[in-house]
Amino acid sequence: MAIEDMAFLIPVLPALAFVITFFLGKKLPNGGAIIPIIAIFTSFIISLMITLNLLQNPGQIISQSYSWFAILNVGILIDPLAAVMLSMVSFVSLLIHIYAVGYMSHDKAQPRYFAETALFTTAMLGVALSDNILQFFICWELVGLCSYLLIGFWFEKPSAASAAKKAFLTTRVGDVMFLAGIILLFADIFRIFNGSIPEGIYVLRFDEIFTHIPEIAALNTQIFGFEVSHLTIITLLFFGGAVGKSGQFPLHVWLPDAMEGPTTVSALIHAATMVTAGVYLVARTFPMFIAAPHSLIVVTYFGAFTALFAATMGLVMNDIKRVLAFSTISQLGYMVLGLGMGAVIGITAVGDSMFHLINHAFFKALLFLCAGSVIHAVGTQDIRQMGGVRKVMPITFVTMLIASLALAGFGIPGTSIGVSGFFSKDPIIEAAYLFGESTENWLPYLFSIVAALLTSIYIFRLIFMTFTGKPRTNYQGHESPFVMTIPLMILGVLALVFGALTKTGFGRFLEETFTNNFVNLDIHALSEIGKYHLVSHGAGNEPLMILWMPVIVAIAGLLISYLIYGMRVIDMSSIVSRKNPVYKLLYNRYYQNAIFTQFLAVKVVYEGLALAGRAIDRGFDWMVYLIGHIFTEASRGLRILQTGVVQNYATSVVTGVSLLIILVKLILEVF
Amino acid sequence: MIPLFYYLALSAIVFSIGLFGFMTQRNGIRMLMCVELMLNAANINLVAFSSYNGDLTGQVFALFSISLAAAEAAIGFAILMSIYRVRDMINLDKINVLRW
Repeated sequence: MAIEDMAFLIPVLPALAFVITFFLGKKLPNGGAIIPIIAIFTSFIISLMITLNLLQNPGQIISQSYSWFAILNVGILIDPLAAVMLSMVSFVSLLIHIYAVGYMSHDKAQPRYFAETALFTTAMLGVALSDNILQFFICWELVGLCSYLLIGFWFEKPSAASAAKKAFLTTRVGDVMFLAGIILLFADIFRIFNGSIPEGIYVLRFDEIFTHIPEIAALNTQIFGFEVSHLTIITLLFFGGAVGKSGQFPLHVWLPDAMEGPTTVSALIHAATMVTAGVYLVARTFPMFIAAPHSLIVVTYFGAFTALFAATMGLVMNDIKRVLAFSTISQLGYMVLGLGMGAVIGITAVGDSMFHLINHAFFKALLFLCAGSVIHAVGTQDIRQMGGVRKVMPITFVTMLIASLALAGFGIPGTSIGVSGFFSKDPIIEAAYLFGESTENWLPYLFSIVAALLTSIYIFRLIFMTFTGKPRTNYQGHESPFVMTIPLMILGVLALVFGALTKTGFGRFLEETFTNNFVNLDIHALSEIGKYHLVSHGAGNEPLMILWMPVIVAIAGLLISYLIYGMRVIDMSSIVSRKNPVYKLLYNRYYQNAIFTQFLAVKVVYEGLALAGRAIDRGFDWMVYLIGHIFTEASRGLRILQTGVVQNYATSVVTGVSLLIILVKLILEVF
Repeated sequence: MIPLFYYLALSAIVFSIGLFGFMTQRNGIRMLMCVELMLNAANINLVAFSSYNGDLTGQVFALFSISLAAAEAAIGFAILMSIYRVRDMINLDKINVLRW
């Protein structure tokens, strides 16, 4: 049986596992955890075999389409981009499911947990292998649903319930934009075909969309007096969806609150996989972005700003999971920034960004699982109450240290020595340098390099506060069981060596997604539509200082953290206080919650929209009531005739008949 | 032999009594009796014309009419009986629960 015939099993097996665990989980040991684990393991093996096959035979992409209805289809597309994503998602999901057997062992609702994570895995794999944008959107929404269910997993807690609602509503803003983009795209392609679609063409398939890029780009609309290409509008709407899902500014507010769910959920959904769906969306439709004028520049600025903005907030959080949440937002900012760099480095940007996505998935899942391990043992999430955990949890400490090094990006430029984050974050920062060089616009570079410094500071602050020093409270810590530490070790090894092993092959592998395979796209021609000026030389030829800069700031961050939190040489009490306006601003997260709830929700939505809507509604009510009143008032007069007394009716009948007879008699006499 | 006119006059008088009674009385039993009077006025007419024309159809029809009146009376009295059990009176203009 050829491997491509088994491709459909990748999402189907976890879906079956969802059904079985949901209905029969109570009767199985560990809440039926074994079923999703087996299913996802099989999915992972199939994904991995497809990926390896693609590595050897780059031409053998899997593309299967079945007619769904009319001009839409369902199908599977596994090109290098999808294959990498599938392998990563199934692998991380597998490890986290194994870990969850230990982590969730005290929870009564285990079957629900494993069923929901299995459904989530199904949806996420579905996103990765969709061959058309509509199926992509359906799975994307399903992913959002699972996120909602799992954030609110402990729904008895009011904070968890409201966090789930917040996440759902905030991402919905982005999803509406995404849907609007799909509708516009559909309308445009329909227009290009003049309304008559030939037999066998499915309009929303990615290859079909990509072949029509020049035509869509030629359609223009006037917006505020500017000629805007439809392609720009569509890509910006798509990016709006990505902003919501991937927690970019200003729709990032849901992600820190999403940490209300179990830590394994945070690791699986809100760090490693789901939040990368937005990045994946932009990468998937990258040919559209590169042909759309100004879209990539917008992407660049959003990414760079988010990377810096989130990192500053990560500095002051005291909740171990919240620090990691802001770190996730910041790293997602890097991925988005990396995609935006397509404006100067072309298709290489997809390789860089996806490489960071994969590496980030490993080390961020690892960070969350380690944090979960610590929380499991210590029983609190506040890092001020921890300290000295290294002594009781050596394995967790070592793996978390590796993950932190990977996040901060330690390595030696020009060699193969370095942790995984180094090989993926540095090309993005270097591309930002190239961007500055060719466009004289240094803001993205500045943002990304400062964010790298802050990243290093906040993650080592976390490490020093948690693992070193003396215990600040009495806790009964113990190392986690093997079922939890083994996934940690596997992820630790990957976070350490994955970057170095794949740093050259990875980018080239992904570039084949759009160059050789399923549609032949000339990236240079497309970028001319987008009016971008690609630099001829790739990253890696910058001055030595630029190459070393990310490592220097990472080491500087480590030293600063060590001096403040490790050695406690520098006294921070004057800075870390509520009186310091900067600290207060950061600690309150730029008052974004206040802005969002009190201004946006209360003032704009409630007092503005809702009350205006109520007034309009009252107006309609008034009109309806008026019509009703006219008829009831008119009928009040007529009602008197209906006495309901039989004699009255009989009298009127007799009178009427008598009058009729008299009338007839008169007429007969006259004529 | 009595001329046809007398029969018709009798019939008209009986009918008018019945009609007057039906229109003025509120008591259910009395109204029903008035209805019977009107029906019987019609029966007199039928039989009178039948005898006058020498055609039996009218008399046969009168028999039908009588049996109909009997059935109607049976049902009507049954209804009035049950109303009386519930409301303790049979004043039909007070029976207006279903009125607007």
